[in-house]
Amino acid sequence: MEKDNRRSDLLSPKDSVNTGLNLKHLSGIWIGKLIMGASRLTGRGGTTLPGRAALRFSPGILAYLSRQLAQGSVLVTGTNGKTTTASLLTGILRQAGYQCLHNQSGSNMSWGVASALIGAGAWSGKLPGDIGIMEVDEGAFPAVVRELKPRGAVVTNIYRDQLDRFGEIDHVQKTILSGLDCLPPDSFQVLNADDPSLTDMRSDRPGRTWYYGLELELPPDLFRNTAQDIKSCPHCHDQLFYERIYFAHLGRYRCQKCNFRRPKPDVTLNKRFFTADGRTVIELRLQGKSLKLDYPLMGAYNLYNALAAATCATALGVPADLIGAALTKAAPSFGRMERFSMDGRTLIMALIKNPAGANEVLRTLIEKEGKIHLLVAINDKIADGTDISWLWDADFEQLKSIRERLAPVVVSGQRAWEMVLRLKYAGLDSAGITLEESPKQAILKALQLTPPGEILFIMPTYTAMFDLRRALNALGVAKPYWEGP
Amino acid sequence: MAGINIYHLYPEHLNLYGDRGNILALCRRAEWYGLPYTLVHVRPGEKIDFARCDLLFMGGGQDYEQRLVAGDLKRHRSELLAAIEQGMVILAVCGSYQLLGRYYTTGKGDSIPGLDILDLYTKSGHKRMIGNIVTQSRLWEPPRTLAGFENHAGRTYLGPSVKPLGKVVHGFGNNGEDKSEGAVYNNVIGTYLHGALLPKNPWLADHLLRKAVSYRRQQFLFKPLDDKIELNAHRSALRLTGSRRHKLRSSRV
Repeated sequence: MEKDNRRSDLLSPKDSVNTGLNLKHLSGIWIGKLIMGASRLTGRGGTTLPGRAALRFSPGILAYLSRQLAQGSVLVTGTNGKTTTASLLTGILRQAGYQCLHNQSGSNMSWGVASALIGAGAWSGKLPGDIGIMEVDEGAFPAVVRELKPRGAVVTNIYRDQLDRFGEIDHVQKTILSGLDCLPPDSFQVLNADDPSLTDMRSDRPGRTWYYGLELELPPDLFRNTAQDIKSCPHCHDQLFYERIYFAHLGRYRCQKCNFRRPKPDVTLNKRFFTADGRTVIELRLQGKSLKLDYPLMGAYNLYNALAAATCATALGVPADLIGAALTKAAPSFGRMERFSMDGRTLIMALIKNPAGANEVLRTLIEKEGKIHLLVAINDKIADGTDISWLWDADFEQLKSIRERLAPVVVSGQRAWEMVLRLKYAGLDSAGITLEESPKQAILKALQLTPPGEILFIMPTYTAMFDLRRALNALGVAKPYWEGP
Repeated sequence: MAGINIYHLYPEHLNLYGDRGNILALCRRAEWYGLPYTLVHVRPGEKIDFARCDLLFMGGGQDYEQRLVAGDLKRHRSELLAAIEQGMVILAVCGSYQLLGRYYTTGKGDSIPGLDILDLYTKSGHKRMIGNIVTQSRLWEPPRTLAGFENHAGRTYLGPSVKPLGKVVHGFGNNGEDKSEGAVYNNVIGTYLHGALLPKNPWLADHLLRKAVSYRRQQFLFKPLDDKIELNAHRSALRLTGSRRHKLRSSRV
């Protein structure tokens, strides 16, 4: 918690009152741009340091830069789905003719937002673009809200994630609420109606709240997993009754004791089906219309991301047909089931960072037919979460059901041994696990084990993903990450 | 061989920090040893069958869940205490460990009574103690290391009738002052270590299983298992905790 305070100290609101050209801000931008140039020369993304240095030098720089955006900005926060939701929303707004600024690499601390704005801005301090779409870390959310004064904010969900930074889930909820309370009075908020920890939040602002939710008639076990965080009513603490659970604690719930229940969503997703040729078709209901469209993103959790983006776009006044057209063209964002190809092999990079997210990735993986090749890379740096205990809450047991078609699993990263141990206790044969601590060796080993024509799934934590991407870049695969997918 | 009964208190509610890993370690190792066991999930409001329970595991929870356990256990405190005096085995992690103590003082100075089973009390602190931790435990002679992760705001102080589980080598421990970590009384072990604790400290898992077998007055031969991966995971945790990178990081908490 002390860390959160430290983080917000970087952004003190009193510095943000100056307007017009300001030498201090200009120098901040120059410092940021110089560092960015230098770090890209050395093969790093420059998504952290430039913003950090600029903020240190000129604390009001976020407010200064974002004020230039004629259409203001929208923030996306929550535990899972921030990056994909923000990138879907950017796609929709571009379809609608906006020029968008977006922190696409997923660097979502205040300095990540600053780096994105500085990177897009000119040396003169001028910022091209109409609207900013920024994904923001839950802990950094209140401070970024105060600086950016956004038009709206989207909160996707609250799961268990990185408790080492936040203490407990209750604390994350309080932090997000304090951010929503700081939104300008007329701005809107978009919340996931299926998440009781969000719909419980009461903000006294007059701005409108938009809700979205799934209305699928699916067998209830389709999305189930064990990583549930919330089971009791946030009001009266009685057991919460679920008519339907989509996954973790997301679903259609009501409390049988008090009046707490899922609010009626403004935007819903009512159907999802697969066509004979393997396409996914979804049906959205929004703006009084029913919209049927091809949706290219895999995984059930991406249904929520489509909903979040469509609802926010609706709040911004984008017509339904443009939303549909953009969603059909959606491409996986950075490290979210992102595909690469190499010598006839397909590589799928799926970031994992908490039990709920990891479970959904595992579920998508075991649904694939044929032989399954897997590389897992676990680091425990600050951006990964220094507490790796969540590995024990994720259902790696799912892999046991595909044991016969699972090729030897390659395990890498600083906490590779803990991961090997996890797989052993999940019921995998230790002879079927290969350990390569170095990311480069791990990639080479995994590629060697994957014959052409087959798929290699890569499941890294956040910083392990950067290590692996650098190794892939060196092999001539994948674009540098700051250029976007 | 009738086997042992492992009771898991509130599997859905007290599961904050990889606690499932502790149950996994107990069950898998019992399987590998060929030791028959039954795992019983206890849900809020349900009563623990003290005549059957040999090994009770209580994990960490958030404030509300913690209060649920407190309420349920208080109703059966005398039975719980009697079982503990007979040698029933308990592993209590983090919040549950605090709960077994005499009281907890909040930031405002209010005192919340605990179950008064372990001679210890906890004061809330401003700074959360978060990070990898390594201790050395005299449960074994020669002492063995325990590696885990701690994340607690409460500072726990031990009274004279309990012994610490370990001495802090790296990290904060009970209170960040006296280098003690956890508490032991009879076969009850309380600790702040999660992460999960038992898989990479297999000797502690085995200690609990052995104590549970003797509490059941049974004989069982524990043939050594292949713990190569466990040992490597333990050693790699020791190495990382001792590294400069980690020390730098924890000093910034």
